[in-house]
Amino acid sequence: MTNRPNDPWFDCLPSCQAQVPCGPGWHTVRWEAGQLRLPEHPDAQAELVLAALGGEKAGCVRLAEAWDRHTSDLSVLAVGPRGPADEIAVGWPDVEAAGQGAPPGSGAGFGGLHGPRQAALWQLASPPTVAGLRARQQQAQAEAEQAWRRRHDMLSLLALGYEFQVRLAGQVAAAHAEEPGATARPALVAAITGRLALVAEQWLGIDPDQVTVSLHSGPGWGQAELTGPGKQRRLRVALPASWLARVWACGLALTGGQLVVAVERAGWPQARVLALRAPGADPVPLDVHARGAGQDPPGRRDVPAGAADAPHWEV
Amino acid sequence: MPDTLELEVTGPSARLRAIGPARAGPAREKPRKEDTESMNREGAETYLRVLAESQLRGPMAAARGQPWPGLAGSTAKLTIVSQALTAVQAVDDEIVADILADLDLAVSVRQRPERSMPPPAAAAGTTGATGPRPGRVRFARTGPMIRPLGRPHARPAAFPAGVSGPEPGGPGGPGGPGGPGGPDRFVPVGLRIPYRDEVLSGEVFLLSFAHTAAGARFAMACRVHSSFDPHPVYPGMVPFEAFTVTDDRGLRYHLDFAGSDGPEWSGEVELRPGPPDDLRWLDISAPGGRSVRVDLDPKTPANPEAAAEPEVSPLTLSPGEHLLITLAERLLTVAPDFPPDLRRQLAAISPGPLRIMATGLGDVIAALEAADVLSPLSPLPGQVAAVCAGMRVSGHGITAPPAYDLPEPWLSLLAHYQRRRPDTTPVPDGYAAVAAALPELDGIRLALLGLLNADGSSWIQLLARGLVPERRTGPFGIDYYFPLSFWIRDNGGRWHAGRPAGVRQTRGEWAVKLQLVPPLARSTTSVEVLAAGPSAQVRVRLPLRWGYPP
Repeated sequence: MTNRPNDPWFDCLPSCQAQVPCGPGWHTVRWEAGQLRLPEHPDAQAELVLAALGGEKAGCVRLAEAWDRHTSDLSVLAVGPRGPADEIAVGWPDVEAAGQGAPPGSGAGFGGLHGPRQAALWQLASPPTVAGLRARQQQAQAEAEQAWRRRHDMLSLLALGYEFQVRLAGQVAAAHAEEPGATARPALVAAITGRLALVAEQWLGIDPDQVTVSLHSGPGWGQAELTGPGKQRRLRVALPASWLARVWACGLALTGGQLVVAVERAGWPQARVLALRAPGADPVPLDVHARGAGQDPPGRRDVPAGAADAPHWEV
Repeated sequence: MPDTLELEVTGPSARLRAIGPARAGPAREKPRKEDTESMNREGAETYLRVLAESQLRGPMAAARGQPWPGLAGSTAKLTIVSQALTAVQAVDDEIVADILADLDLAVSVRQRPERSMPPPAAAAGTTGATGPRPGRVRFARTGPMIRPLGRPHARPAAFPAGVSGPEPGGPGGPGGPGGPGGPDRFVPVGLRIPYRDEVLSGEVFLLSFAHTAAGARFAMACRVHSSFDPHPVYPGMVPFEAFTVTDDRGLRYHLDFAGSDGPEWSGEVELRPGPPDDLRWLDISAPGGRSVRVDLDPKTPANPEAAAEPEVSPLTLSPGEHLLITLAERLLTVAPDFPPDLRRQLAAISPGPLRIMATGLGDVIAALEAADVLSPLSPLPGQVAAVCAGMRVSGHGITAPPAYDLPEPWLSLLAHYQRRRPDTTPVPDGYAAVAAALPELDGIRLALLGLLNADGSSWIQLLARGLVPERRTGPFGIDYYFPLSFWIRDNGGRWHAGRPAGVRQTRGEWAVKLQLVPPLARSTTSVEVLAAGPSAQVRVRLPLRWGYPP
C-alpha cells in the first residue's frame, strides 16, 4: 500500500456541470477528469485574442480564468465547504453585486490601518512627505484592487455550487500534496482539521474542537488514536495531505460508518478504499460504490447546487 | 491574465490551461521567515489557522440551521492570539492578514441571505444585483508594521549608563553631544522658576537637564495662568521666548518648548543652540522673576545625595515568557482604565469588567507553546493564572493551576488591590528632581528625567534610545513600543508599576511617559528602579527631592 498511488486524485469523481451567466444568456460549464471545460465556446482561443485587443471577455472565459488562478490557492481551502452540510450561500446575483460593489481602491472591507488611540499616542517629529503619502496611497489602492479581485474570483467560483467547490478544493490540495512545503503545511493541516473534525463528530460523536491533526509523510496511510476519558477525549489523527483530494473531495471520508483513510483503487462508481472502524484499529479494505450523485446534470440555475448533489458512497 | 493563459480547444469544447506563471496565488506564497532553533513559525501559523477553523464552526452551525453562537468571543480570541504571535515575531502581519481575510470571506458566504430569488429576467441574461448581502462580518486587520528589518538587532547607539554627569563616548564614536556616541549628561535640577508678564503668570519647575546627541533640554513641569482665563493654560503658552539664558562663559541661549504629553503640565524645553560639553551652569531669568542659577557641574550636582551605581543581572526569558510578563503587568495596571471612583474598588468589583481583559489568555499560552517560544515547563502560565485569581478574573482559559510564588512586585500590587480599605488619600501635585541613565536592556537605553504627581496620578519621564516605532496595539491593549518591564519600589517597600502612557520622538530619541500604578506618595524620599527585558534586568536606587507648586 502506498499513500501516493499513481492514479489521478479525481478518478472517484464523476463529471459535473453548471450553468453560468455568459453574455445575454446562460452557458454550461463542465468539469471532467480534472479539467474545467467550456463546451459552448469552441473558438475560445479567438475570443481571448479579441479580449486582449479590447473586446469584451465572455463570462465563461472569465470564470475559467478565475478557476485557473486559484487551482493552487490555499485560500480556496480556507473559504470553501467543509462538508456537504456546510452550506455556502453564494449565487450569481451575489457575484453581480460584488462586481458592482465598492470600487477598487476604496479599501472597503478592511478596518483602519491602525487604531486612533495609537495614532494619537505617536507624534512623529517629521510629517510624512507628499511623495511618501502618494506612494502609500498607490500601494493601498493596489492592495485594495487585488483584494477586490480575489474576493470576486472566489465568489464566482463558489457560485458554481458544491460539486465544483469540492473539485476545486481537491485540485488545490492535490497541487500541494506532493511533499508540501513549510508555507503550505499550516494551511493544509487546518484544512484537514476543519473537515475531519466534522467527519469525526459524525463518526465518533466527538467534539470537533477535540480533533487534532498532523500531516503524515512517508509510507502508510498515517494513524489515528483516541485518548482521554469523557470530556478529555481527544482524537489525534495523522493523515497525508493527499487525503483531502483523494478521499474528502471525492465524498469518501465517511463511508458505511467508517473513516476512509486512503483510496486503494480509484474509480467511479466503483472503488476500493481503506477504512477504519475505530481509532487505533487497523484499516481494512472496503469495496464501495457510488449512488445517484452527479449523474443528472443540473438544469439552469442561479443558485448553487447544494449538499444533495454531493457524491454518496456505500459499502 | 490573457498573456499567461491559453484556451486549449479540444473538439467542440475548450479548456483553459496555464502556459506561464498565471497562478494568482495569495500573499502567503511569498517567501516567509523560516523556523529557527528557538522559534517554530510553522507551528505558530498552524495554531492560528486551526483556531480560525474552530471559529468558523459557529457560522457553519448557523448554515445548518442550528443556533449560531455568534462570533464576538471567538473573534476576539483569534485577534488576541494573532497579536500575541506577531508580538513575539512568530507570525508575520501578512500571514495574519491572509488568515483574517479568508475567515472574513468564509464567514460572509455562510450567512443566510434574506433575499428573494432573482427575477425571471435574471435567467434571461439580465442578471442584476438584489442588493448587498446582509450582515457581513469584518475583521479589523492588525495594521501595518513599521518595524524596521532586523529588529531587535539593529538599534541606535545608546546612552552610557550612569547616574549623572558626563560620560565618555563609545569607542570610535565621534566626541561631543552633537554626534552619536558622544558624551551624554543627565543632571537632576529641581529648581522652580516663577514668571509673570502682562497676560500670563506661573512657574516652570525644572526637573532635570539632559544633554545627548539629540541636543540639550530640560525635563520640566509648569503651571500657566492667564489673567483672562481662570483655568490652567496649555504649557506651550509659557513665554519661553522672553526667558534669558546665559552660561558660565557668557554665551547666550534661548529656550524652545519641545512638546508635552500627559500629564498636561509636563514636557521638555530645549536649549538652543547646543551648549558645550563642559557646561558648568546656566543663569535663567524669567520675565517678572529673579535670575535662577542652574548648577550643571557633575562635581557639584544639585542633588548632593549620589545615587547608587546600577546593578545589572542577567535573565533568560523566552519571548513567550516576556510577553506573558507584559500581559500580567497589563492586568495588574488595569486601574487607570477605570474612572477614579471605581479604581479604588477594583478588588470588590465583580469579574465582569475585568473578564474581557483576560479572555483568550489560555489560547495565547497554547499558541506561544506551539511556536516554541514558551516552554511547557515555564512557571509563567501558572503565575499569570494566579494574577487572574488575585484580581478575581475568570474565563481566562489558562489550564495551568495558579502558582502563588509570584514576583515580589506582583504580590505588592495584588495586595494593594486586595486591601479591605483601599487607600483613599489624595495624591497632591508635586515634582521630584531625578536623573539617571540605565545600562542597556535588550538594545534599549533609558534615562530617567523626572517624576511628578499630577491630576491624582504619578508619572515618570524617560528619555529612551533604541525604541522601535510600533503603531499596532498588542494583545489586551499592551503597547509594543515600550517592551520593557518597569517598576519602582518606594522607601516604604511598596511597588509601583510603570505603565506606558505616551511617547514622542525627538530627533532619534523618544520622550516616554510612564504612569505609575498605584500613585507614589509625596512622602517618598527614595526609590529603587527596576527595569527588565528578556535578557537582563537593572536596579538602581535614587534619592528623591520633591518640589511643590504653590
